[in-house]
Order: sequence, then C-alpha cells, then structure tokens
Amino acid sequence: MDDYFAEAEEHIIAVRRSLLALEASIGSNLPLPVLEELFRSFHSLKGISAMVELREAELLAHEMESCLRLIREGHVAVTSTNFETLVDGAKVLEAVVVAHRSGQPVPPVGRVLEQLESLARPAATKSAVVRGSVGSGESSKAGADRAVWRVTFTPSPELVARGVKVDTVRSRLLQIGQVLSVAPKVVPGGGVSFEFDVETDRDQELATWKEDGLTYEPLRTGLNAEASESDADRNSGVTELSTVPEISQGIATSGRTNFVRVDLARLDDLMRLAGEMVVTRARLEATLQRVERHVPFQEWRDLQEHSAGIERQLRDLREGVMRVRLVPIGEIFRRMPFVVRDLARDTGKRVQLDLAGQATEIDKFLIERMMDPVLHLVRNAISHGIEPSDQRIAEGKPPEGTIRLSAATAGESVVLEIADDGTGIDVQDVAERARTRGMSVPDGPIDARTLLDIICAPGFSTRDEADRGSGRGVGMSVVRRTVEELGGALGVKTEAGRGTTFQITLPLTLAITDAIIAHVGEHTFAVPQSAAREVIEVETTALRSIERNELLAYRGGTLPVIRLAQLFSIPVQDRPRFHAIVVGTGLAAVGLLVDRIAGQREIVVKTITDPLIHVHGVSGATELGDGRLVLILDVFALSRTARDRPHQIEGVSA
Amino acid sequence: MSETPAAPNEPDQAGERHTYILFMVAGTTYAIRSQQVLHMEMVEHVTPVPNAPVFVEGVVFSRGQVVPVVNLRARFGFQRSKLDLRTRLLVVQNDARRVALLADEAREFVPIAASSIHPPNEAIGGLSGNYFEGVATLGERIVLILNIREVVETIPTAAA
Repeated sequence: MDDYFAEAEEHIIAVRRSLLALEASIGSNLPLPVLEELFRSFHSLKGISAMVELREAELLAHEMESCLRLIREGHVAVTSTNFETLVDGAKVLEAVVVAHRSGQPVPPVGRVLEQLESLARPAATKSAVVRGSVGSGESSKAGADRAVWRVTFTPSPELVARGVKVDTVRSRLLQIGQVLSVAPKVVPGGGVSFEFDVETDRDQELATWKEDGLTYEPLRTGLNAEASESDADRNSGVTELSTVPEISQGIATSGRTNFVRVDLARLDDLMRLAGEMVVTRARLEATLQRVERHVPFQEWRDLQEHSAGIERQLRDLREGVMRVRLVPIGEIFRRMPFVVRDLARDTGKRVQLDLAGQATEIDKFLIERMMDPVLHLVRNAISHGIEPSDQRIAEGKPPEGTIRLSAATAGESVVLEIADDGTGIDVQDVAERARTRGMSVPDGPIDARTLLDIICAPGFSTRDEADRGSGRGVGMSVVRRTVEELGGALGVKTEAGRGTTFQITLPLTLAITDAIIAHVGEHTFAVPQSAAREVIEVETTALRSIERNELLAYRGGTLPVIRLAQLFSIPVQDRPRFHAIVVGTGLAAVGLLVDRIAGQREIVVKTITDPLIHVHGVSGATELGDGRLVLILDVFALSRTARDRPHQIEGVSA
Repeated sequence: MSETPAAPNEPDQAGERHTYILFMVAGTTYAIRSQQVLHMEMVEHVTPVPNAPVFVEGVVFSRGQVVPVVNLRARFGFQRSKLDLRTRLLVVQNDARRVALLADEAREFVPIAASSIHPPNEAIGGLSGNYFEGVATLGERIVLILNIREVVETIPTAAA
C-alpha cells in the first residue's frame, strides 16, 4: 500500500506540472507532449488505483483519461471552463488519495465526475461509456429531457441459444437511446447480470423485450433519483452478496434478506475454538485408552462410541465454520470485464471475456490475495497472448480474441484457469532467452514445468521491454510466489498458435492463526497464540531444580519449565534471563524457555506430513516472509513431555 | 500440472533413452531420472528439525510446500561437508511425497540409454546400501543410478 501512495504521489505531481503547462497554452496550439504525459499519468493512476481497489480514484482517473483522449483527438477543445473541470478532477483525485492514506473518509466524487462526463459528453454520444464493476453513484447526470432507465439483463443458456447475448442487448439499447453505463453484477447463485443505464424516450420498446430476460425500471424521470450503491460497493471487506439485489425488480430479487455480514475475525475465533476442541478430544481419547482396563467392557464400549461421535461432530463443525468463510470467486472475476475492456482498448486488440464458475467458493482470505495474480495473468493474456485482429484473421481465427476465466472445485482444491486463444508461448524462444541470460536450461524439448520455471524466474520477461499493460505491478515470479505461499500451485499449458492456459490450484481454505515468534540460539519458532497464556521474563537465578525438572515460582505456585534449547539440542550461550511462554492451564501449564520473543503475527499453518520430519513437539511449519521455514511448536505435546518427564524418557510421548 | 506434448524422454530408434541429472556426492557421480526431479535449487537456508533422523538436514519451503531435506552424504554414511555455492537441492517426487536431496553439486543433464545401464554388482552394493539400482558407464565415468524410493522410504531403525 505504501508503494501505491508513493507512486500515486509521483503521478499527481506530474499531473500538476502538466496541467500548469496546459493552462499556459489555452487558446493557442495544444502541446501534444503535455497531453500525452497527462494521459499517461492518469492511465497509471487508474491502473494502480484499480490494484489497491481505491475505486473512487480509479473512476476519477478513468474519466480524466477519457476526457484527455477526446481532447488529444481534437473532439473537445480546451476552454478555460473545461480546463477548470480538469483541475477540479485532479484536485479531487488527490484528495481521495490523501484521505485514503490518512484513513479519512473519501470525499464525494460524484459532482466532479458529472462535470468530467459532461465535458466528454458532446463527443462521446456514439460509444457506450463502460464502467465495469465500479459503483455507479453518479448515474444521475445526463441531459434532463429524456428519462433514464435501469435495464437489467440476465443471460441464460436458453437466451444464448436464441441468440440473445449481452452484445445483442447492448446494440438494441443503443438503437433506442444512449447507454450511460454498463455494470456487471453477480447475482446470488453465481450468475451474472448486466445493468445498463439507458437514457431513452422510447421506453415502450423495452417492454417488448421482456421475453429476452430484460427487466427495467425508471432510474430518473426528471432530475431526482440518485442511485446509491457505491457505499455498499466500497465496503469490500465483507461478502458482497447481500448488496446485490438492491435495485432490480425482476429475476434477481429473490433471497435478498437471507445474508448476514460477519466480521472475519469472529469466524477466526470460531475456527480456533473448534481447533481447541479437537485437541481436547484427543486428550479424552488418550484418557480413555488409559482407563480401558479399569472399566467394564460394556461401559467402555459406550464411552468409546460417544468419543467417536464427538470426533465426527467436531469434524462437521470445523467444516461448517470453514464453509462460512467461503465466498464466491466471482468477487475476483467481477473486476475483470473492466480491466479487459480498458486494456483491449489501449492495445487496440479485440478481446472477449468469458467467465465461468463464478459461484465456485473459496476462502475469503484467499480471494483477497488472489486478486493481483489473476489481474496480472489477464493483463498478460491480452498484452502477450491475444494477437491483433488482422493477424488473427490472417491465421484463420475469429478476429476477436477470447479470454476465458473459469473456476471449479476439485476435491479439497479450487482450480482457477486463465486461458486465452492467442498466439501461445514460443517455448524455444523462451528457452533461448533464458540461456542467453545465463539460466541453466536443459537441452532438448522444454516441458511445461521447465517453461514455468523460466517464465517465473525473477527478472525474466518474454518482452525485452515490459509494456504498459502487463509490465506493472506484480511479475510472474510474484504470481507464482503468491500462489505457492498460499499452499497452491501454478501450472501452464501452451500450444503454438492456439493459446495459453494458466492454472492456479488453491486449497479450499487455509488455517490461519496468530502466533508468538520466539528465538532460541539461531533458531526461530512459532507458538500458536491461542495456546499461549502469557509471556513472562525469567531470571536464571529464579529457576529451581527439583529432580529432573526445573521449576519456576509462578502466581503463588510452581511452573515446570522446558528449555527449548535443551529439548532441541540447540547450542546457546548461558544467559542471565530468558523469556518464558506460559502454555496450557492448571496442571498442564508449562513454561517454554526461549532466548527472546520477536513478536506476534498472523501465520499460515502448513502441516508437516512427511514421516522424515514428523517429530515430537513440532506440529507444522510456516514462513514469515523471508522464505525461511519456521517450525510451529506443538505446545500440547511439549507440556505432556514436561509432566511425564519423571516417568518417561525425554522426547517420547505417552 | 500438465505437460507439453513433447516430453524429453521419448524413446528413440536406438532403444529407450532417458534424460538423467548427474550429481556428485563425496566424489562419486550419481544420476537420477530427470523426470523424477521437480526442480533444483541452490541451498539458501535449511531449517534444522530437532529429533529428526540423523540424515535429515532439515526442512525447506520449496514452492510453498514443506519439504524434508535428506543429506545424501549422511545418508550414504559419509562425513557431512559444509554447504557452499555449489551445493544443490534436488527436489524429487516419490509417489505423493516430495523430498529434497542435498548433493555436493549437480550440473549436468545427460541422456542415458537404458541398454547401457547394468545392475549393480555386489561389491559396489556394499558401499552405499541399496540406494542405487544400476550402474552406467559414460565414457570414462562410472555413474550410479539412484533408487529414490530406497533413499526416501527407508528409515533405518538406528536413526529413528
């Protein structure tokens, strides 16, 4: 985010400079380089704002960009009034960014957007203004003579079979009036509908299209109505479903009240509780084994059965909590039409976007982190994959390229695919470039895995100069790292002339927890926060040895301590004081002695399954961002060790 | 993950021929089918796992997965040596398991015809247990073909 502010500020400074230069030339010849620079600045601002989901800034930059394009192309003159509008736009844009940085509410952008749009209006009557998924709080502008209707079109296979598609609807609407905006909407159940705001006085024709999946309602008859979903849209931390059916009266209204917004932290709490119950049940199980021979067989069998029942129910409970965290992957897809249209326009390519499987559900945590990688792959597909129309025609392909975004659940995983029908990756060329860059590439045919290794190598780009579209933000190496850090895998399939498909496989959900990070000698460990009661400082002189235990006076009683250095045979220097992480309660309480506490943070838990590293006292592993692996301690196993030590050989659990 | 149609180990006219990765452990050259190797990495940081078998160097994250690192020197009964710039991790897949093998160095990809691989004779077998499945002669060099399954599956009771 800091990167964003730094970059945004640079662009805003450039904008101010350029605007000053522009002002000097009002009434005389337009300095094209200045316009170009302004255009580029706003384009960049739009891109980076889209990436951090600062929608107001994105929208403003988009409108400024549109105005500048019209000015550059000579459709709109720079009068002093128009210039003031541009200056206002830049000011508000800056205010939006500043407010966002300081955590203040973002200032309203509706008025200046209206002005910008009316500036662009005279020249823009022929083309639809597409606003993608951006909240359309500004839809109440436009000339006052014609009514504005919100027309909702919900595609269905039957309609497609009859030849009624979004494009059909759009061209029909264009015939009867002016399309002010188009916004795709995810409807409950995973479909998508499109909301066209249309200015027309021929609304009677709308009625004749009811059969074709269209519903409509007046949005403005005079100058009153103000659509206001932008507030809801802005609040993207919460699952969005509940806000969708607000406007349309037709097909999409069912079930509008059946959604609850829940803070993710509460779900984390539930998940943690469920996790703790699992541990408790494991203890119960262990106790059961011990008492088996003291209990009559019939009684014991009943106990055993109940215990097994609890285990089943616990598993269901955890799954249930996990499912609540799942949200439709449409949240990622929703943004893409906008991105695709913009980039297609910039590159002069014709691109159609197909979406499939938006209803596929995935952990909210993953959704937020997958946005940038998917965005990057889509941008790549347009910049590098899809060929220009004339080339496509020459190759016997449809002039319009297709990017297909699809999602599907496969067992415990979700598979996301970003496929294009473009030129494919020139594997030999890629290998050649890799070799000239000194990467070790095996001779002979390159398989998919090697190809992926090469294109995801840091600093490797298939174009010598990254272009505007794909060359910003995250690179392929970051895409891969992000996916893999989330416990997923990235794959690629490519066929010369037929296209490229990137496949992202992700776990359905992740165990995320807070942990205390502690150092022992040169080692770092993580202790789940939920298991830790407190952290105390311990003077070495306060430790008392009794038999083979070391004890510490603690809250009027004694607390057995485990020196992690000793347990794990880690060489450490004697030190006057330690930190002790107190884990467990009552008789099970034990202090884990570490050299020092590095802090507390959220970690993604990866389980350790391989028998070679499945050792007592270690429950999993995590990574703290530096690529190094940190072991997560199994505090329950460790506290058992402490209690059992007088009777057990160290390191072997009961 | 799907492969491109042209895998690097199509049989040729001279009989079956596979690409192998050659690596060095304590002065001896070993080979693994490149198909079994997911990727190779320089060694940056191996996190030791306390109480793991002695031949386990530790764990690393490889492509987001927790992968144990088997020190082949220790596995074959040689002295451990210091990790350096030439040290390589060969991440191999064996059934569902993914294990990284620590080798002194690994640099070459070579095709070896199946016909030039011979079963190990008894005398060599004694050197490093049952960890290899064949011997190939490449010009002057003798190359031992590693049996990954044995290396990663067998946990000697002495070390457990």
